[in-house]
Amino acid sequence: MTDAELVARTRAGDADAFGALVSRYYDACRRFAYHMLGDRSDADDVVQETLMRAYRAIARYDERDQFRGWLFRILTNQCRNALTARGRRTRRFVQDNVALEQAHAPAIGLQLGAEHASLARALAQLDALQREAILLKYAEGLEYTEMAAITGVGESALKMRVKRGSEKLRAMLGTRDE
Amino acid sequence: MSDDVGLEFIPFADDDGALAAQIAAMYAATPPADADAAGRCARAVLAQSMHAPTRAPFGALHPAWWWGAAAAALLVVAVRPWSTSTPALQPVGTTATTSVAMNGASAADVFGRVTPISGSDAVRFDITLPANANRVAIVGDFNGWDASATPMQAKRESKNGRATWSAQIALAPGRHVYAFVIDGQRWLVDPLAPQVQDTGFGPSNALMVDGGVQ
Repeated sequence: MTDAELVARTRAGDADAFGALVSRYYDACRRFAYHMLGDRSDADDVVQETLMRAYRAIARYDERDQFRGWLFRILTNQCRNALTARGRRTRRFVQDNVALEQAHAPAIGLQLGAEHASLARALAQLDALQREAILLKYAEGLEYTEMAAITGVGESALKMRVKRGSEKLRAMLGTRDE
Repeated sequence: MSDDVGLEFIPFADDDGALAAQIAAMYAATPPADADAAGRCARAVLAQSMHAPTRAPFGALHPAWWWGAAAAALLVVAVRPWSTSTPALQPVGTTATTSVAMNGASAADVFGRVTPISGSDAVRFDITLPANANRVAIVGDFNGWDASATPMQAKRESKNGRATWSAQIALAPGRHVYAFVIDGQRWLVDPLAPQVQDTGFGPSNALMVDGGVQ
């Protein structure tokens, strides 16, 4: 059954159809959120919030769009919101030395194999918008036009983010190589 | 060659194709969620959304709600909580249409009106009936329920076979009970106008003149 058929049935109140859509895209959403946020728990929360918003807004979904792209548009926004909220939390406690000493070390490696760990850590150190562009371009394999539709950013700006992000990745990994 | 946590480091490629391949490989190696994670997520979304897939006015309602609404409507119609044994009195100056057919006339052929006369304490009662009524009187507590005490006058013959009967009566402020007598025999009340319980004179309507106590 196509995405459009599942969407139509979801709109008609078919819970199973929505469950099928979730099953189809859950892992893709979670993987993207996982690499954007670097934390499995945050990724799970963001994916659930994304699917919640998608479900409530599915009446406004335009069938001319790819469902995956529409869903990723919501997902990228939710990831940005989560990063902004995390930034606020960090700033709130960053001057508390006791809290900093007692805090757990940030999760690294994302439970990836050793062959991907250094790349994942370098990616996590990129600016969030550059990381978003790199993931959409190289991990999701999207064209710049699709990326522009998802992020609401112009293609030129996206190309620049990918270029700068790639340079930073090379620099970080090249430094370690020396 | 290793990074600062002891993991083996793979040199990064210079060209974008190799970069894309390495990122894609890392991405694909992301541990998948457990088998039921998607199902749990879908159930959570549905539970939180109350099965409301759209924001359309009716699409947002769960079908079970319609059964509840239908049951509530049936209960209200059957019990009629607004209906009391002594309904609110009809304020002077209102019109009520009876649902009583008279000599084959439709319900719309019979309706009454109570109008205060400005500058006096009188009230004019009008009732429109099918034209085959010969005599109409108004009876009530103000004339001792005497069917001959206050005959009503046929004020005009309407074009559609109805006649309007009128009587003007001085009423003290307060609550008054009344009815109409057709041809000296048949008592008529307005079933949609306020009524009071039968106290031995048959059903009757009630009204309240300004300044009275209900």
